[in-house]
Amino acid sequence: MTMSEQHIASAFDRELESIQAHIMKMGGLVEAAIGASAASLETRDEELALKVRADDKAIDALEEVIDEEAARLIALRAPTAIDLRLVLSVLKVAGNLERIGDYAKNIAKRNTVLITVPPVNDSAASLRRMAREVEGMLKDALDSYIQRDAELAADVIERDREVDQMYNALFREFLTFMAEEPRSITSCMHLHFIAKNIERMGDHVTSIAEQVIYLVTGARPDEARPKADKTSLTV
Amino acid sequence: MNDMARVERVVDTGQAKITASDVQVHYGDTHAIKDVNVNIGDKTVTAFIGPSGCGKSTFLRCLNRMNDTIDVCRVKGNILLDGEDIYDKRVDPVQLRAKVGMVFQKPNPFPKSIYDNVAYGPRIHGLAKNKAELDEIVEKSLRRGAIWNEVKDRLDAPGTGLSGGQQQRLCIARAVATEPEVLLMDEPCSALDPIATAQVEELIDELRQRYSVVIVTHSMQQAARVSQKTAFFHLGNLVEFGETGQIFTNPQDPRTESYITGRIG
Repeated sequence: MTMSEQHIASAFDRELESIQAHIMKMGGLVEAAIGASAASLETRDEELALKVRADDKAIDALEEVIDEEAARLIALRAPTAIDLRLVLSVLKVAGNLERIGDYAKNIAKRNTVLITVPPVNDSAASLRRMAREVEGMLKDALDSYIQRDAELAADVIERDREVDQMYNALFREFLTFMAEEPRSITSCMHLHFIAKNIERMGDHVTSIAEQVIYLVTGARPDEARPKADKTSLTV
Repeated sequence: MNDMARVERVVDTGQAKITASDVQVHYGDTHAIKDVNVNIGDKTVTAFIGPSGCGKSTFLRCLNRMNDTIDVCRVKGNILLDGEDIYDKRVDPVQLRAKVGMVFQKPNPFPKSIYDNVAYGPRIHGLAKNKAELDEIVEKSLRRGAIWNEVKDRLDAPGTGLSGGQQQRLCIARAVATEPEVLLMDEPCSALDPIATAQVEELIDELRQRYSVVIVTHSMQQAARVSQKTAFFHLGNLVEFGETGQIFTNPQDPRTESYITGRIG
């Protein structure tokens, strides 16, 4: 249910707008962090990697702002119905975004190491493709949030399957490399963690999309989200 | 959502104490209540919410025939208390109101002693055989009204000398003295400060162990705090009726949503 009507207390509307604006700002920074971390991996750009690490502070700061705004809203406005769901979803989405930012920062850290050793085949390009997919999912998840579009959110959840499959493929590839070429183990371990980070980003984007469905419909998504990461069971 | 643990909030029984069907109320030419159908559960607090003039108080007053006292008011439809039609010609409204007690917005103790305020109902309904029994009823009622400890040493003092919150709890004690089965409360806390309000709300929660409580309130937070079921009235219609947690997190009707979130609807 969309609520285009205004609150009688107009300050309440302004507060809700402010908190959502902060979510969008945070989302923008996180999208950029995903893109830049993957780019710095492929282009072996140390400066860019350092920038990703530095920029994470702004993401963390925004999460704090959002948490504080949400706490104030709950205390002062006692939100109900769609307003309550909005505040609850904002808290979770901010948490998800913060985690994604951390994964991007961790990728950037590993990049500063990887830059000093020879590349492993075209794995950096594969990882960048995977990151692009997640970045696109995040963009759509944030769009679905602002537009209150539960269908688009459901589509994002579905797309996480592809990310999981990309991760499965990379996992096998890195195993093979390491078996064939023990000198690549250090690189491959880092690359594998990067792949896992991106896969986890996809899970957090999925969680954001689930919040959108809850916000819009008042119900949690009915089906358990697709879990196509099979590597935990790989022998 | 549905498996949310609500240990504190468990609605005791699915059993209906009051069943209202197709209730219509006219005040002269005004159609105040339009086709209301609702089941009021036993041992449950049911809150009626809605904007002024929506019909919630009018409907509440149908439940113990308080509207009979208004000449231009006509009530149609069926209201059953434990399966018996309360508008049946054989039903004595005075007896009915002993079973379906009422507490009003403004505390209205009789200009009598605290004791006599509570003893009044049991006396006219002949509930006590002697003074000792009456004493017992008065004490029990004042205890249920959560005011015994504050007044036990001055039962002969006038009820009107108590503070607002105490007067309201005295009125609740008076209402429960006739051993009602249903307690109707019309804005019982709107004249009380937050402490007295909290005390009355705590009392309402205790009363529901024993009675079916129906409360009309303009405070949505109060409805959310004290009730297990909430009914939203708008322009004489019962728009939505459901579990209170559901009404306040995920109302199904846009009019309910607009009202409880404080939007112009």
